[in-house]
Formats: sequence, structure tokens, C-alpha cells
Amino acid sequence: MTPQAISYLLPDALDLESLKAHLSENNALQEDPAVEAAQIFYDSFDWRVWQAGGELVVEENPQKRLCWINRKTSEHELCQETDEVPGFPASLPEGELQNRLAEALEMRVLLPQVKIRQKQRTLRILDDEEKTVVRIVLTENRYASLDGKQTGELDGRVLLKPLKGYNGDFERLRTQLETMKLIAAEQSLYEYALIGIGRKPGDYSSKLNYRLDPDARSDATAKKIMLSLLDTLEINIPGTKANLDSEFLHDLRVSTRRTRSAMSQIKAVFEPEELEPFKQGLAWIGQVTGPTRDMDVYLLEFDDYQASLPETMRGDLEPFRTFLVEHHKQAQKDLVKKLNSPHFRKVVKSWRAWLNEPLPRKPKAPNATRPIASLADQRIHKLYDKVLKDGGKIKADSKPELLHDLRKDCKKLRYLMEFFQSLYPKPQVRALIKELKIILDNLGAFQDLQVQAESLEALGQQMMEEGAPASALMAMGILVGQLLERQVQAREEFAGLYAAFSSEENRLAFKKLFGGA
Amino acid sequence: MHIIGVYNIKGGVGKTATAVNLAFLAARQGYRTLIWDLDPQAAATFYFRIKPKVKGGSRKLIAGQVELDEVVKATDFENLDMLPADFSYRNMDLRLEDTKKPTKQLLKLLRPLSKAYDYVFLDCPPSISLVSENIFRAAEGLLLPLIPTTLSLRTYQQLLDFLEGHRITGLELMPFFSMVDRRKKMHLDVMRDLPDQRGELLRAQIPYASDVEKMGIHRMPVEGFAPNSFAASAYQALWMDVQERLRNA
Repeated sequence: MTPQAISYLLPDALDLESLKAHLSENNALQEDPAVEAAQIFYDSFDWRVWQAGGELVVEENPQKRLCWINRKTSEHELCQETDEVPGFPASLPEGELQNRLAEALEMRVLLPQVKIRQKQRTLRILDDEEKTVVRIVLTENRYASLDGKQTGELDGRVLLKPLKGYNGDFERLRTQLETMKLIAAEQSLYEYALIGIGRKPGDYSSKLNYRLDPDARSDATAKKIMLSLLDTLEINIPGTKANLDSEFLHDLRVSTRRTRSAMSQIKAVFEPEELEPFKQGLAWIGQVTGPTRDMDVYLLEFDDYQASLPETMRGDLEPFRTFLVEHHKQAQKDLVKKLNSPHFRKVVKSWRAWLNEPLPRKPKAPNATRPIASLADQRIHKLYDKVLKDGGKIKADSKPELLHDLRKDCKKLRYLMEFFQSLYPKPQVRALIKELKIILDNLGAFQDLQVQAESLEALGQQMMEEGAPASALMAMGILVGQLLERQVQAREEFAGLYAAFSSEENRLAFKKLFGGA
Repeated sequence: MHIIGVYNIKGGVGKTATAVNLAFLAARQGYRTLIWDLDPQAAATFYFRIKPKVKGGSRKLIAGQVELDEVVKATDFENLDMLPADFSYRNMDLRLEDTKKPTKQLLKLLRPLSKAYDYVFLDCPPSISLVSENIFRAAEGLLLPLIPTTLSLRTYQQLLDFLEGHRITGLELMPFFSMVDRRKKMHLDVMRDLPDQRGELLRAQIPYASDVEKMGIHRMPVEGFAPNSFAASAYQALWMDVQERLRNA
């Protein structure tokens, strides 16, 4: 096995020149001409490359190539020459790198994060045939934000690079460097560069992860949660307006929905009339962002829709894609208008102002000053009881509405458990959220497939009016059939999944965590 | 993984220079490339300044006691690794004879590397032997440097007869003119007539050039010390032809 390259920080007492002098005392070495290299690091808005264990970089040295660096080994695992600015994985040349990125990113787009300029001097350690056996790359590094406004210097680095088949020489040089008091760097240059511009990998995530104080007032905690949700909403506005990818809007909508759920489910912590205007404002945001999201959903599903058709019919579905793209464009235009409107700004601004207002010393709302841990317990077990009561009534021939209602309650329950998860032991609360997710996925599929089938029919009607060929409508008809079949399947699976969810074991686990009967 | 053999029954036709320069070009394009010097004379190994020594020699290698990956050496060039030659390779035929499927051993040895490399170049010893038959069966394409002389063409015919006699099919034959000396009438005559008879002939030609010989002094591919030379561009053209042929094969 070839050992991993090691990146050392240069101690203050040593500069690159004296390091070279030290090395040449014991080694035959040759220095290659210095090169300037520029690197731009990319990731999705929510750091999916990083989460998948990678760093993605475009290196210009001098030809451009896109490389996936393994974070653990610092190894350039996959590289591809490219002139394109990285965006969606689909626009990259086919190959392993594209596959890796498609898997990590799904529907998210790559965005530039930070630049590093490097001056590299490579020292080659030679054997008696003048063959290179180890490379030592000395680098001077500067970082810059994308707009060039933030720049700075990073520590010099000494990279010890092994060559396959010359492990002995690598170990020899490693010992030499470590005798010179060089210390292996624990973080990559990329991480330091991000720190330089005030960022950190993973500093945005759509997942909820609050650290709450169990004894804090409930109204304070509710505000804390809703402020954080508002941060998420606002940080997604520019990406939503620019339509960089579908998930900016999605995250914006989810944080809106979560806020509305928090307003109604963290009960009696504020005066209802105080909340009312904001409830309306957020409902309006949910409404005006809907049409674009609908088109996004169909566009995201399109490839799967197409693949589910018999091969000879797949081409027939193309007019539907064209239709979606066109209508998405219009919906997006309308959406941007709404997001730029004074009303939208007012809703967001007044909501933030209210959240930032100091809490009343003697609030009227009954739960306002109650410790959040006790309110969380009560709300979760109450909602859980309701879910069990309503779920237990659902029979094989029950109306779909009963399942839809159950879904709503399950979703509220899930949000509550996610808001308050830090108040409970992590493995247990995570396990129960997971159980809840299974049943929610089933209920979601049952409802969404129905909605999709109906909309597809309606859209088909609209396409016909706009002059689409009959073959496209035939293909969509088959899709509708398939969706409804899958919906029936989801309905059939419900009983089994619900039985598992409402099992004695889960009931006990819920009771143990959240109290209640 | 594409396996490309570089072969001629006759020695001294520019075989090793071809393997070394094309492997370099493939690696420079970003393809993970391996060159295996199977010739005990170890010329390719010498060009890369690597010591011609393989732990355990051909005996342990063929017996499967040493994995190829363990004896691979990085060259001085990115993406380009080498399996060096070893003097024991002169006895490789005998080692191969001792195995169950003596003509498929090299392919078997190379298989575990299929994920690690995009291109493997085999620099083959001259003469027809069990080693060369192994190469014909392992490779997807076979590059055949031909000096444009009548004698050279005879050895090419011998090879075709051999392949037919041994029912080796599916091997993409890629003969091309090598060591071309435009001052020689015979070279010009052969080069004029042959392309019509042999459709498989590649268009690119490698000149008889001192830069190719100088590889022995610099101990590196032509691109490494004379990137703007006529010889360097000839190898580039040849590599483009080879890629195109393999794509269309």
C-alpha cells in the first residue's frame, strides 16, 4: 500500500528556503520551476460534497481540471479536465466523477465557495538513477472570497507526497521532516480559507438542530426556534430569486411551514391576536410560492416518469417537459415579483421585529413562562395520543380524508419532536422520529400520488388546449394510471405500517420519553 | 481498462519508444496509465530511470505469489505507473508453460488492476513466443511499428499467419510506419503502395529522428525534453489515431 500524503504546517522558526537547505544536506534533490496555481472550491449551498467526505476543486495549473479530493486522505481521487464552470452534475462530462457528484448532490447545484492562490515549489528527492522517489511541495497560500473583497494569507505548507513503490524513501523523508519539528496539519487549506472568509463547512443545513435549555421560558424558546426558522427562510431568498436550484425555494417553503406549525403547536405561549397577522403573512408566502414548487416537483420527477414508460413511448413525453419548462419560467417570474414586493418585505421585516421584541415580564398567555421541557412533553404526548386515536379508527374502507388528516397530525408531531429533540436523549428521540417518518412517508405517498395524478390530468388538458400532440396525452394517461396504481399500493401497505408504528413497544417508548397515558 | 500491446517480431523498430511516448501522452490527458515492460532488455524501464528489478521475478509473478500492484512503481510523471522489467523475464515462457492455461496468464494477472488504470501499455519482447501469445490474448489493440521495407512487411505477414493459425480474433491490429527515413527511396516506395493494400494501417508515421534516440540520454519521453520537436508531434498524431481506432473498433 502506498502511504497517504502528509501536509505539514511550517513552524515559525523555519522558512521554506532554510527547509530546502536542510533537506539538501542529506538528499540528492532537484527543484522544479515554481508554478502559480489557482484553485476554486465548490460545494452545494448545503455542503453536500463536504458531507459526502469530499472537497471539490477546480485547479488551474495551467489547464483546468475538476477534482474530488478525499477529505480523509487528501488524495485527489477523481479528476477530469474541464473548461466548463461546474454547475449541475448533469452538465459535466460523463464519467466516474459525474456519477460521484450526482450521487452526492442529487438536485443541488454546485456553487463556488472560496478561492486559493498558491505558489508551489516542488522539490524532487532523487535516487542514484536520478529517478524521483519522493516529492515535497512547498506552498505559499492566499485565500480570497469570490467577490475578492476578503483576502488574506494562509500558513505555508509542506506537502510530502509518496510515489508508489517507494515507501522506504517516503518514510525516510517523513522522519527527516518530523525531526525538523514540522507538524502535520489537521485541517485542509480549504477549511482555513473558509474560516478566513467567515464560513465553515456545514454552516447551513435545512435540518433542525437546536440546543435548547429545558428550563427556559416557553415563549423565549418558541421565539428562538422561530427566529432560526426565519434565518433559514431569509438566507434562501437570493437563491430562490435567482432559481439556482429547486431546493432554495423548497427550504424556504419548509421553514415557512415549520414556523406556522410552531405557531399553532407550541400552544398558548403568545396572545393569539398578536400572532394572527404573522400567521396570515406566512400563509400568504406559502401560497405564492406554491405554483413554482409544483412545477419544480414535476420537473424533478420527470426523468423517473419518463423511465417508467415503455421504451417506445418515452419520446412522446417530451412535450410535457417543454410545457413544464415554459410554465416554470412563468411561475418563477411571478414568484420573483412577489418576493420583491413591498408586502413580502413587510411580512418578513415585521415578523423579525416582533421576534426580536423583548418578552413581557408578566405575559397573559398561560404557557408563556412555563419551562419548555414540560410544555414539550405535554404537547408531544397529546398530539401522539391524537394520532393514535385517529389512526386506530382507519379501516380498509375508510375515506381518504381520514388518512389525509392523520398525515397532517403526524407532520405536526414530527415538527414538534424535531424542534425539541435536544431536550431528550438523542438515540431514543431519533429512533422515534425515524418510526414516525416511515408512516409519514406512506401517508405522504398516498396523498401526493393522488394529487399528482389529478394535476397530471389537469395539465394534460391544458396542454391539449395549447396544441400538444395526442401522443403526449396518451403517455401522460399511462403515467396517471401508474400513479394511481402506486397510490392503491400505498393504501394497502398502510395497515401493516400503522400496526408497526402503533405497536406496544413504540407506545411504551413514546410514553417513556414524553410522558402521558 | 484498455490494454494495448506494442509488438513486432523484429527488434529495433521503435517499439519501446512507441510504448513509452504513448503511455506518457495517455497519462498527460489524465488517464491513469500503466506501462509494463515485458522485455528483459528493460529499455522502457531504463527510459523511466527505474531499476529493472521485480521482487520474486517472473516466477513469483506468474505463480500469483506476488500481486502486480505490489511491484508497480510510480514514474516521475503524474498518472503514469510502471511495472518494470526483470532479467528473469527471459524465462517467462518456461513459467507460463507450467500453468494451467498458459496463453491466458497475463490477462489473469492484469484483471485485478482493471479499476486502477484506464490504459495499460505492454511493451513486448520481439519474437513469437508464449509471452507474445499471452499479449495477443490480453490486449484489445496491438500496435505494430513497421519500418517501410519489404523485410518488415514479410514479418507483418508472418504475424497475420500466426494469428489466423491460432484463431486469435477480435484483436484490433494497428500497424503504422516507424523510423521513416524520407531520404530512402525504398521507404517512399513502400509507403506509397502499402496503404491501398492494408486498410488497417494508421495514418500517423513516426520519423527516424535523433530526438527519439536522445530519449536514452535524457531518460524520459520525447515530450519531456523536446516537446516542440517533430518527433513529439508525430507521437501525438499517432496517439490520436490509436484512440480513434479503439473508439470505432
